[in-house]
Amino acid sequence: MVENPKPDPSVIEVRQLRKEFGVLKAVDGVSFDLKRGEFLSIFGPNGAGKTTLIKILTGLTRPSSGTARVAGYEVEEGIPEMRREIGVISHSPALYADLTPMENLIFFGKMYGLEHPQESALAVLEDVGLAPRRHDRVRTFSRGMLQRLSIARAILHDPSILFLDEPFTGLDIHASNVLKEHLQTLHNKKRTILMTTHDVSCGLEMCDKVALQVMGRFAFFEDVKDIDKENFEALYFDAVRNNQFTMGIRPH
Amino acid sequence: MNLFLSQITAIVWKDFVTELKTRELFSAMFIFALLVILIFIFSVNLSIVKASEVGPGILWVAFLFSGTLGLNRSFVLEKENGCLMGLMLAPADRTAIYFGKLISNFVFLTVMELFILPLFMIFFNIDLLEHLLPLLLVIFLGTLGFCALGTLLSSLASNLKTREIMLPILLYPLLVPIVIGVVRMTGQILAGEPLSEMMNWIGLTASFDIIYIGVSIMTIDHILEE
Repeated sequence: MVENPKPDPSVIEVRQLRKEFGVLKAVDGVSFDLKRGEFLSIFGPNGAGKTTLIKILTGLTRPSSGTARVAGYEVEEGIPEMRREIGVISHSPALYADLTPMENLIFFGKMYGLEHPQESALAVLEDVGLAPRRHDRVRTFSRGMLQRLSIARAILHDPSILFLDEPFTGLDIHASNVLKEHLQTLHNKKRTILMTTHDVSCGLEMCDKVALQVMGRFAFFEDVKDIDKENFEALYFDAVRNNQFTMGIRPH
Repeated sequence: MNLFLSQITAIVWKDFVTELKTRELFSAMFIFALLVILIFIFSVNLSIVKASEVGPGILWVAFLFSGTLGLNRSFVLEKENGCLMGLMLAPADRTAIYFGKLISNFVFLTVMELFILPLFMIFFNIDLLEHLLPLLLVIFLGTLGFCALGTLLSSLASNLKTREIMLPILLYPLLVPIVIGVVRMTGQILAGEPLSEMMNWIGLTASFDIIYIGVSIMTIDHILEE
């Protein structure tokens, strides 16, 4: 067994990561680094492999080949110490509909081994503005409220790295703005954030690095300050339309 | 408390709070078991056959079929809203998830069985009170084996579109040794035989309980992974 070096709690290192489902290459040789406090937005058409990439990096699924280290831990081993360092927000809120926000967060607090789950739950509910609704059943919440509660669940154990899989899907403008504010706050607190999204303007506005994933591969990976945003939008829409890169950009 | 134990307790607590609010599992299992017993009571002529001969089979059919309903629902609740993903992301050993769900399923099914027993006693005119302790031991062994294997297979079936069909198809054939054991033992108990007469069956059922739990511990990691 390979011994893990001293973990750096805020770094993602991905090398030649591949995930195949039969003949389908969902993730095809992806490599990149993300330093502490950086925010990476990954764009790409549906089926480009963005969600699979997040599932691999969070230890939910094993890669076919390649290596990935998250917070200094090999993700393939899926060790609990790594899961303590990450928070995940996805399409699904991962919340029990018949429990209240407090009950949900106390439950997850106990699962993460928090010393004072009740106090931690109340604190994050206040952070996301849901403290007044803490005793209502989650089933009665709107999509926007669910997403805010999902953020509360993801940051309950104060993770250093956050993975967000299309977090703006189904949100109205108000809820999107609230989510953006929360993400900005977390970014300011030097949390490392990896987000997949289809919302180009929002994704570019918040990130430090930008990637475009097409057919499993990173076709583009740059610092956001080095790109022409209008040109990038054109590239992105071209990739979505054709599900491939046709505008002469060298794959990353 | 040890983190492993506190995670198991948290899962059981969460399932109990959910059940207390919805009463979905208990009511579905109880009504189904009651209906099974009612159907049999009208289809069996108790003036021709002895209740103590047909009763054990009917009782365990009611327990196992209604228990399957509960098992199906148990992991479906975890799949709703991606809750299982939330559990998998927590720094919990997969076996803690398994044992948490196993204990919840076991308690829910046992409570339902304790409500069904008096009704069975009335409908079949059998006096269970004088055999209560041995009967409770048999019910414990049978329910534990059923829940141990059922929790594992319901976690496997929850990933399938045809989970309601797949769970019984996977579960019942593997459960045959336990079913034979508990039905035989229940029959012997109702016939007034002492526990010492059925040590072989107790040994067989307890062995399969241990085997099912052991296999579950070894395989739950792979089964819960997508």
